[in-house]
Amino acid sequence: MHRHSPPDPDKTLYDPPHNPLWSNVVQELRSSLGDKTCDFWFSDFQLVSASSEEVVLMAPGTMYAIWVEENFKNHLLSAFEKHLGGCGRIRFLVDESAGSEKEVAEDPAEETDSREEGATRLVPRVLVERVSEEKLLERGLSAGLVEIYRFENFVPGENSELAWAAARAVADQPGKTYQPLFFHSASGLGKTHLLHGIGWESLRQRPKSKILYVTAEQFANDYIAAIQKNALVAFRKRYREADLLLLDDVQFLGGKDGLQREFFHTFNRLADTRKQIVLASDCPASEIAELEERLVSRFQWGLGVEIHRPGLETRAAILRRKRDDWNLPQVTDEMIDRIVERVRGNVRVLEGALIRVAMAATMSDEPVTPEHIAEAVADICDPEETRQVGVEEIKRTVAEHYDLEVHVIDGRKRTARVAEARQLAMFLVRTLTDLSLVEVASAFGKDHGTVIYAVKKIKKRCEDSAAFKSSVELIKRRLVRCASPAEPTRRGRATGHRGNSRLGVGRRALEVEFD
Amino acid sequence: MKFQIEKEVFQDGLNQVQHVVSTRTTLPILSNVLIQADELGLELSTTDLDVTITKRIPAKVAKPGATTLPARRLAGIVRELPAADIDFEVNADNAATVRSGPSFFKILGLPASEFPAIGEFGEAKEFTIDQKLLRDALRKTSYAISTDETRYVLNGVNCLIGEGMLTLVATDGRRLAMVEQDLEFPAGNETGVIIPTKAVNELQRLLDVSGELKVAISDNQASFELNGSLLVTKLIEGNYPNFRQVIPSQANHRVTVEREVLLGAVRRVSLLVNEKTNSIKFAFDDNRLAISANSPEIGEAEESIDVRYDGPRLVVAFNPEFVMAPLRNLDQDEVFIDLIDESSPGVIKIDEPFLYVIMPMRVAG
Repeated sequence: MHRHSPPDPDKTLYDPPHNPLWSNVVQELRSSLGDKTCDFWFSDFQLVSASSEEVVLMAPGTMYAIWVEENFKNHLLSAFEKHLGGCGRIRFLVDESAGSEKEVAEDPAEETDSREEGATRLVPRVLVERVSEEKLLERGLSAGLVEIYRFENFVPGENSELAWAAARAVADQPGKTYQPLFFHSASGLGKTHLLHGIGWESLRQRPKSKILYVTAEQFANDYIAAIQKNALVAFRKRYREADLLLLDDVQFLGGKDGLQREFFHTFNRLADTRKQIVLASDCPASEIAELEERLVSRFQWGLGVEIHRPGLETRAAILRRKRDDWNLPQVTDEMIDRIVERVRGNVRVLEGALIRVAMAATMSDEPVTPEHIAEAVADICDPEETRQVGVEEIKRTVAEHYDLEVHVIDGRKRTARVAEARQLAMFLVRTLTDLSLVEVASAFGKDHGTVIYAVKKIKKRCEDSAAFKSSVELIKRRLVRCASPAEPTRRGRATGHRGNSRLGVGRRALEVEFD
Repeated sequence: MKFQIEKEVFQDGLNQVQHVVSTRTTLPILSNVLIQADELGLELSTTDLDVTITKRIPAKVAKPGATTLPARRLAGIVRELPAADIDFEVNADNAATVRSGPSFFKILGLPASEFPAIGEFGEAKEFTIDQKLLRDALRKTSYAISTDETRYVLNGVNCLIGEGMLTLVATDGRRLAMVEQDLEFPAGNETGVIIPTKAVNELQRLLDVSGELKVAISDNQASFELNGSLLVTKLIEGNYPNFRQVIPSQANHRVTVEREVLLGAVRRVSLLVNEKTNSIKFAFDDNRLAISANSPEIGEAEESIDVRYDGPRLVVAFNPEFVMAPLRNLDQDEVFIDLIDESSPGVIKIDEPFLYVIMPMRVAG
């Protein structure tokens, strides 16, 4: 209607398609109502004017106006409240022409002069500023970036080709290529390195851009602190006005509803304003336990890339690079070849092995033989491939977990606790050994149907309860003594920006589950 | 004026007209029923200035005349009278004496001349339609009429005639009920009017399951003539908004369910409806529908029923009253629920030209 009548000078006039307030509100509605609902009801609404007393919306038809007012008025009010600072009431005008002739021609002449305020901020800045290296370093560090994690010292290999390419593309053109870019892999394979690398490279190309690297845990702590100090506005400003948000350990969001909601809005705002978001997680978005569907779907919008374990050549290349970086000339190429033949774990494990071998080479006067190396890295060799877990060991470990005697597992007692322990043991035997169903069954003195049932039951419980799942994972890890990111890899973790959160959560969950 | 009348007949007649009388009115005459006696019998009329109902009943009239008497009070007296016949006499001061067996009543009335006349009925379109058809159509739609007086165009049933179709629509902004009945009207009768709630209610009371009724529609009034009664109503002025805007064009999933089974289950579960959200949950899953309510302060209820559904699990929350309303007013054994997703409008259909759009409530979180 504002096209037809002279604008009211007291009100700010908005050009709807480019209006940031309205698009923020729509985004807000999207988050609370879902995309489909939002599209169905609001796609043809326009913001006519907005002040703290009154917001006027143009509805594409009376029925739309009535139904929206009846069903979504509170949503609208709170969305405007949030983005406008206050909203007394909402009034609906009806564009009577909309129903019959939808193609209300956009007058290009009008488009330019009715645009005001925030809209002009969309003009891209192409200023290139020369900034000294120190200044860049300072900015990078204050953005949470770690100095050593740069593109220059990332060793790409066949395992990370796609991730590497995507990282570079995003650093070159943030917000334009993959939104969001989502890395996932087992720990210690370079997700964090790439996140930081994107940050540094992006900073180098655009020194003035606001870059923010945080782990999800840090995000959570900031959020909690902001709530306590009643400083949510500052918190949101910090996160929602970033040009590039690098969020590590996204899986930490799992099961934290309030945090997810907050991040959801952050995500929407950034995506809406075409700011780049890069996420890293130890599993694909869809597998993060208790992550809201709307976040999962958003995380899947852009590009999800998995980083695999490095192959032999890549492992060697990584270690050679590390050797040079850490200045360990006593480690020869041959030694590195020996190491990577035996150690197949993640990069942190590799680094640990390198350190041990370097130590061995320094300490002894004799030349380092392959046997020495084998000995030095014996306990960090990839266990999954070198060790076969035994049935008895599984029974024992499970029994320990449930605080039971091993013979109870083999016995006939059928209390819930014992039955669960028995089922879990069967499940683990079935998944960790090569035994056939019948063999598993006979190891437990049951028939194979019982085993099938047990496996099914445990799988179901894992799906239903993240706590149970993590406790199962923990037992599994203990059994295969797999590359737990704890003990031997201290050195690789020297940068210390990553907490022990994952493990901590798992343990806590375990206590709840079994105590 | 003097007449003798059967109690049953008088009672029925008064019952049909007395609902129009408003209980709290500033004009005392509007509380009264106009009684006109001529050689053919009695004519009883009530009005609230918007809706007027006139009912003709047989009586032995000894002396023609007219008066008005308090409608509710008269109806109450007649209902309680002990004998089968009533003798009625009204003097010049509009005081009526009622005798029936051993009972005697004297009731003070107001002169008939004060009773408001029905407004001039302009040029009208006239046609006849089947009573049952209109009755069913009104029954299937009228419960969705808005009671919000600020949206006066929605305070009635939108009645569209044309293109071989009689379309009735009612909505309150949260649900919408529509009947689209194939019906050939004489050419030139195309029209669209909004019949106000009160007229709809009264009309439903008058309509029978057989026979026809005569409808006349002018610019601002409509009249319905049937079974010896005449209902005249003002129409709601204004344009009914384009209701097709809110009808979802296509659904992804269809649930087939037995109407009474669903109604019963919803009714039971709704006993524990969450007072805050006023909603109950419908979880559709592989030929099962689990209906549940959960109120933190009260408790919870769940009922699971068989349905035909082979889509993915869908959980939708609805206001139970909004689900029950159409179910109560349909006759079909089976209803279909068409769904798009958790937050899009759901549509209840039957294998006749009817549809009911219902907005899901948002489940918290």
